[in-house]
Amino acid sequence: MAREEAQRTDDHRVRVQTPPGWSVSLLGRPLTVLGRLRRDGNGSDGKRKMERSFALKSGAVRWMDVPAGNRRGLSDYYPHLMPSVGFGKSSSRVYRCRSETKRYITSPRVAETLVRILRGKRKSCQLFLECNPGPGILTRALLESGAKVIALESDKTFIPQLKSLGKKVNGRLEVVYCDFFKLDPRSRGILTPPIMTSDMLFQYLGIEAQPWSKGAPLKAIGILPPKNERNALWKLLHDLYSCTSVYKYGRVELNLFITEKECRKIMANPQNPGLYQALSVLCQIACGIKLLHTESCLSFGTYTANGQLAKQKHRESLEQNLCFIQLTPHKDLFTGTLTPFNYDVFFHMLRQCFMKRGAKLIDHLHSLSPIDAMHILKQIKKNKDVKVIDMYPEDFQHLFETIECYKDDNYKWLYDDFMEDVII
Amino acid sequence: MSAVRWGRGAAGFGRALWPAGAPGLLAEEGALGGVWGRKRSSTASPCEQDRRKDWGHAELLEVLKARVRQLQAEGVAEVTVKRVAKRVAVARAPEAGGAQPPRQAQAGAEGAAPMLSSRWAQKLDDDQRLMERRKQRLEGKLQKHVEKVAWQKQLRSEPRLLSRKLASQLQHWEQGAPRSPWEEQLAQLLQEAPQGWSGEAAAAPADRGPESRLEGQRQRLLSFFECCLLTGNLPLAHHLLVTHHSKSQQQRLLTLSMYNMVMLGWARQGSFKELMYVFFMLKDAGLAPDLRSYAAALQCMGRLDQDAGTIRRCLKQMAQDGLQLQGLFTAVPLSAEERAELLRAVRKAKPAFTPPRPPVPPPQVNTSPLLREIYAKDPTVSYPRLHLSLKELQGLFRQQLRVEMATTVTVESVEKVPLLTKEVLHARKTLAGLRTRWRTALYRELQETKESEAHAAREGRLSLFPYLCLLSEKEIVGLLLQTLQALPAQGESLLFLAHELGLRVFKRKQLRNEVQELEQRYSKYLHLLASDTQVAEPCLPRQHWEALGAPEAPHEQPWPVSVVVQLGKQLAEVLVRAAQMPSSLAAPRSPGTLIPVLYHVYSFRSFRQIGILKPHPAFTQLLETAAERTLTFESTDVPMLCPPLPWTSPHSGAFLLSPTKMMRSVEGSQQHQLLLERCPPAELHGALDALTQLGNCAWRVNGRILDLVLELFTDKGCPRLGVPAPPSEAPRPPEGRQAPKGCLLPEVSPAEKAEMRRELARRLKVAREMQSLRADALYRLSLAQHLRHRVFWLPHNMDFRGRTYPCSPHFNHLGSDLARALLEFAQGRPLGPHGLNWLKIHLVNLTGLKKRESLQARRDYADELMEDILDSADRPMTGRKWWMEADEPWQALACCMEVAQAVRAPDPTAYVSHFPVHQDGSCNGLQHYAALGRDSVGAASVNLLPLDLPQDVYSEVAAQVEVFRRQDAEQGVRVAQVLEGFISRKVVKQTVMTVVYGVTRYGGRLQIEKRLREIHDFPQDFVWEASHYLVRQVFNSLQEMFSGTRSIQRWLTESARLISHTGSAVEWVTPLGIPVIQPYHRDSKVMIKGGLQSLTFSSSVDTSQKPNTLKQKNGFPPNFIHSLDSSHMMLTALHCYRKGLTFVSVHDCFWTHAADVAVMNQVCREQFVRLHSQPILHNLSRFLIKRFCSDPRTSKSIWVSRLMDTLLSVPKAGTFNLEQVKHSTYFFS
Repeated sequence: MAREEAQRTDDHRVRVQTPPGWSVSLLGRPLTVLGRLRRDGNGSDGKRKMERSFALKSGAVRWMDVPAGNRRGLSDYYPHLMPSVGFGKSSSRVYRCRSETKRYITSPRVAETLVRILRGKRKSCQLFLECNPGPGILTRALLESGAKVIALESDKTFIPQLKSLGKKVNGRLEVVYCDFFKLDPRSRGILTPPIMTSDMLFQYLGIEAQPWSKGAPLKAIGILPPKNERNALWKLLHDLYSCTSVYKYGRVELNLFITEKECRKIMANPQNPGLYQALSVLCQIACGIKLLHTESCLSFGTYTANGQLAKQKHRESLEQNLCFIQLTPHKDLFTGTLTPFNYDVFFHMLRQCFMKRGAKLIDHLHSLSPIDAMHILKQIKKNKDVKVIDMYPEDFQHLFETIECYKDDNYKWLYDDFMEDVII
Repeated sequence: MSAVRWGRGAAGFGRALWPAGAPGLLAEEGALGGVWGRKRSSTASPCEQDRRKDWGHAELLEVLKARVRQLQAEGVAEVTVKRVAKRVAVARAPEAGGAQPPRQAQAGAEGAAPMLSSRWAQKLDDDQRLMERRKQRLEGKLQKHVEKVAWQKQLRSEPRLLSRKLASQLQHWEQGAPRSPWEEQLAQLLQEAPQGWSGEAAAAPADRGPESRLEGQRQRLLSFFECCLLTGNLPLAHHLLVTHHSKSQQQRLLTLSMYNMVMLGWARQGSFKELMYVFFMLKDAGLAPDLRSYAAALQCMGRLDQDAGTIRRCLKQMAQDGLQLQGLFTAVPLSAEERAELLRAVRKAKPAFTPPRPPVPPPQVNTSPLLREIYAKDPTVSYPRLHLSLKELQGLFRQQLRVEMATTVTVESVEKVPLLTKEVLHARKTLAGLRTRWRTALYRELQETKESEAHAAREGRLSLFPYLCLLSEKEIVGLLLQTLQALPAQGESLLFLAHELGLRVFKRKQLRNEVQELEQRYSKYLHLLASDTQVAEPCLPRQHWEALGAPEAPHEQPWPVSVVVQLGKQLAEVLVRAAQMPSSLAAPRSPGTLIPVLYHVYSFRSFRQIGILKPHPAFTQLLETAAERTLTFESTDVPMLCPPLPWTSPHSGAFLLSPTKMMRSVEGSQQHQLLLERCPPAELHGALDALTQLGNCAWRVNGRILDLVLELFTDKGCPRLGVPAPPSEAPRPPEGRQAPKGCLLPEVSPAEKAEMRRELARRLKVAREMQSLRADALYRLSLAQHLRHRVFWLPHNMDFRGRTYPCSPHFNHLGSDLARALLEFAQGRPLGPHGLNWLKIHLVNLTGLKKRESLQARRDYADELMEDILDSADRPMTGRKWWMEADEPWQALACCMEVAQAVRAPDPTAYVSHFPVHQDGSCNGLQHYAALGRDSVGAASVNLLPLDLPQDVYSEVAAQVEVFRRQDAEQGVRVAQVLEGFISRKVVKQTVMTVVYGVTRYGGRLQIEKRLREIHDFPQDFVWEASHYLVRQVFNSLQEMFSGTRSIQRWLTESARLISHTGSAVEWVTPLGIPVIQPYHRDSKVMIKGGLQSLTFSSSVDTSQKPNTLKQKNGFPPNFIHSLDSSHMMLTALHCYRKGLTFVSVHDCFWTHAADVAVMNQVCREQFVRLHSQPILHNLSRFLIKRFCSDPRTSKSIWVSRLMDTLLSVPKAGTFNLEQVKHSTYFFS
């Protein structure tokens, strides 16, 4: 019976379909549409639930959109699987808290530092995409430095304030009610702002796609949502590797505040095996990572969803530092074997390998590819005792390429796109 | 031979055997070593043999025992010989006895001193020689015998008693045995009052958590013991009992029934010493022996032909314990042979004793007022008979018996025959070769696994060894090969696979084996059903069956899910290890090494990691190429070929050999079964008879429809008509999962590649979906083809609310339009004066047109369309294809054909029709609510009132919503204005329909939103707001129309919430007397470690967990209504049967012959009135108060008092006059 419930949640996800008539052209002025939605966003349960589920789903996972009816006819006579803890802390049911707290830059000093780092000595009119500016301290500083800013704010309460800021700067500020970290939700649900597709957003902003080989079309600045940093990171990586969402428009450069703990993890390699994980490999393969600045949590303000300044309760979180890092996608990311066409196999390989990080690589290979594992190891010039945590990110990439380019076998991978669909 | 010599030598051990100073282990080894050395190795035997004979010389023992029996008959030195036998057994066992080194083995040192009469000594020798020869033959096959013997040697049999007093008694007993007859000790022991020695266990009324954990472990232990007994691994069971008993921590797990079970095992073997050990342990654990314990002891005494004095003492003690002698024969399940032994023992003490007649329970009569008429004796009633003769039916029985004995059915697939090219033939040959190889490999793996499990058991762990012995190796290997064959290309989750495998083993081991007895009884039973026989007085099938013999033995408890999964996982691992294929299949160029066929891969869903077993793509490819045209089904997944056994108890009925549960339930839950068993048998008669009756309907395949469907199926399919297309019609991904050409070229931009990927994924997904639909249809059609030209039966059982379902999953009348159209009644009935009219009306009903027209109008409409109907019947695929536009096209077509045949018959009234005509309840759930609450307005809208035209509740709700909308629109509510002209029946239908079954506003909104999106000219911007608005209005309208309904729903919900808060699951009894309990508890997690991967799953049926309040309360209203609609259906079924009608149902859709529709409708209405004339809600309230509020211990709880208040305020009923239903034509139509 518990399964039944799970299925029901699935159904919700499935039943919401992309509205046929909903396209960018229909929007005309998206802001008016936003206005309407703001009006009716009066705390209806349904919508909130949906948002939340997007928040979850836009993580690393590709969930099922097969209608429940078409799935294997497993009746509720079977025990169902328990979530085994993988990489995020969030499991689909736990995430229930009403107010999603966010961090905002509230100190002018921090804002100044950031502007200095981001702008250097340039005076030219650079375009910044600021995610969840909140009270707009950094926005103001950026504008003052002469940059152009697009503010994507997911909290309605801040929007009037931001707009008034825009009035003084002669069109250099555009405010959009939009949640950057939830762009392009993977379930094709009804999109109600602040959830939107990147196409809608970029078309509205009039930003053209740029080829991958060109430079960054824009720089995004933001603070990863403190509650689910990892989910947000996974989503960004998925978008990056599949060249979708914002990355469809070119190599967007991200400048993010991230907790020091996570930061150390994504920059880890076999030299700090305790922190090394799938995310580290994926981040390092995809982007150049630069640590720009470190700032104590104390310098930030925390607001609950309705714009109230929240007290910071946990001592722990106060003592933590936030790192400001720059993620620049590599120009040559897709020039080799790894492409948006097969990246999911690479993802799967890493997720599986890091499930048992201490195990030997050869044991994992048996579950990854039907090709003789010894043969593969010989090709990548590793001995048979090599462990997962001994492999550098480049080694993984090499491993992937070796298998993907293997000539002798018709069947290279055991992974199957739809494996996820057939299971309970 | 030496063993015998030794045994013979020991014949006189009465005196010589027990020297005061017990020699140590070493001496014993020394003594035995020389004598036993070689022989010992020869006693081990291959597995089939040693299943029954694990413990050393069991085989020898048997011979000896047989001889003893023979000798007894000859009256020679019986006691002595018997002791020899016993000693031989015992001497083997306790060599590693631990705490108390055994002394008796000393016997071996006694030289040969033949004191026996030479006549039978000669016989023994002969036997011995014979046996020796047999063993030598077996020896060749042996591999690991030495080790085996070694572990057998270590099995412990002597208890380590925790109570000093008992221990000294035991010692005294052992030592003193020769002098004072050791049997007396039993009596002494028995007189000891059970002492609550095991202080911690009894004193600490452990809190819920640990207690529930214990419960789970107890279940596992019990099923382990049970399995050991079944497979003849009794010494192993004893060993485990002893090891558990000797550790106080583990002793807490042991229950009386476990001791009893092991004792019974020894009693069957006539091993008194071991039985006594167990008795000591039982006492030691502070338990009081019950009837079963005494039955075991006495049985053993009977077998050993104990002297009367001992038995008398034993009986006396039993009386002192307050146990009735009669009870031994009535309350303890015994086989005939056991009964005889038991009686022999009792008769020794009380020669005049006659056992009570084997339970001929007083004919129990169901007391439910609803069923009074059904069980009223009336010699004039004519129950329907089948159209087949006794002889035909007997033939059918034999066919079915063969099928069930084979356990699987092989059915030819209806897929197109492939061209037998060289390729195909080659693939088939390769496959056959591989299978032979796998079979050998599987045997080997299985044996190795068994060995390691046996090893684990020896170490006192609850291993899977006895479970693995349940089926023969051949059977298990067959099962595994079948699994491999059926594994889908994309793999199967390991948990699912393991569960499935475990269950199959469980089901197969349950097969009963008294085939002959069954055949005789069944043959007599057929006299009731056959067309050419007579029975003395008309009675129901169950009554007839019960009159023919004793009731069935009680069924076995199901295994805990963890055992099922663990066993299945073990088997799956065997399969993974054994199945290998040459790598050349996968990569033609690579050298001929072996690679696995199955891979254990992981998949990620959300943050779960799921283990999957996936076949190598090359193997899938091979299967595809070989295109073998057989499908294998479990015999219980296929309809029966003879009338099912009538249901006589919650666990006996339906299939001939495979036990089936009357109430299906979530796997692992036992609460329903317990509840049913506790229920007085007569209370269940209604359900038993209704299920029997539904299963007794004979079916056949509608051949013409099948032909048409097959034609489409083997061609290109037709998704519009529900015939899935073959994979060749799917949008093919270019080259498997490979990148399409050009995808990897550098000039293609990453974004384009991403696009290609999406396209590929989409295609793969469509293909996968089509494949699963196709497979489903393939099963159904292949079975239909297999059963064409046969008569078959669909045995039924029910879910926990009493809703009935056919047992066979693939092919039954419950499925889609296509599935239903394939079936018709095997028995025909002449149409009679009105039959043709009903056919026509049914045809119009199937088209979905004219729903709101009178019956007359529908009939006229059919007459108008007669030309189209005849055209459809004659040229279904080439003509005007009128039928294809119907709501239920295939059934409509079948009906067209029937109508055509009838109208063309010379005399339509005499035309024999096999076609089932349905009558549907109009929103049956609401009908029950309206009747419960006596809502006048609601009753009218769901056709409880006789009106000229059928009412349509959906339209009425829509109209009511429209009224509200107009009001709002006038007041300027924007969304109400936007909705003008969009509120239709269709928009609200699904929500209204599901509201009865507890749909929430949230779910309702989603349903409505979906509908609104389908309307193209609806401004889509407003969908969300409009659906939100509409769902509110629908609920308001329902509130307005069915005021009673909402208050009843609320009352039920609130009661359930409070009951759940008091810590119990909601229970009630349906008006027909079926006890219902909601199996919703908080999840408990089960984890199985080791092997390929750890499996973790959660189960919501663990009764030791607190109830899940949310589910209990949301589930109660719909479940309660379902229990009412099932009662209504069963009542209708039973009364129809009494009137001689054929009747089947799909929940609220009732089927019968066209000629009988009017009668069925009348019965249906009458029974609805009868049902609701009962004070249903008051009865419920009374029952719940008694069940949940009468416990004085909890009466102070705040929840209980609140519950009491709620339950006492039963919702008030309205003013609707129920009798009016009797005249409502459109109640079911």
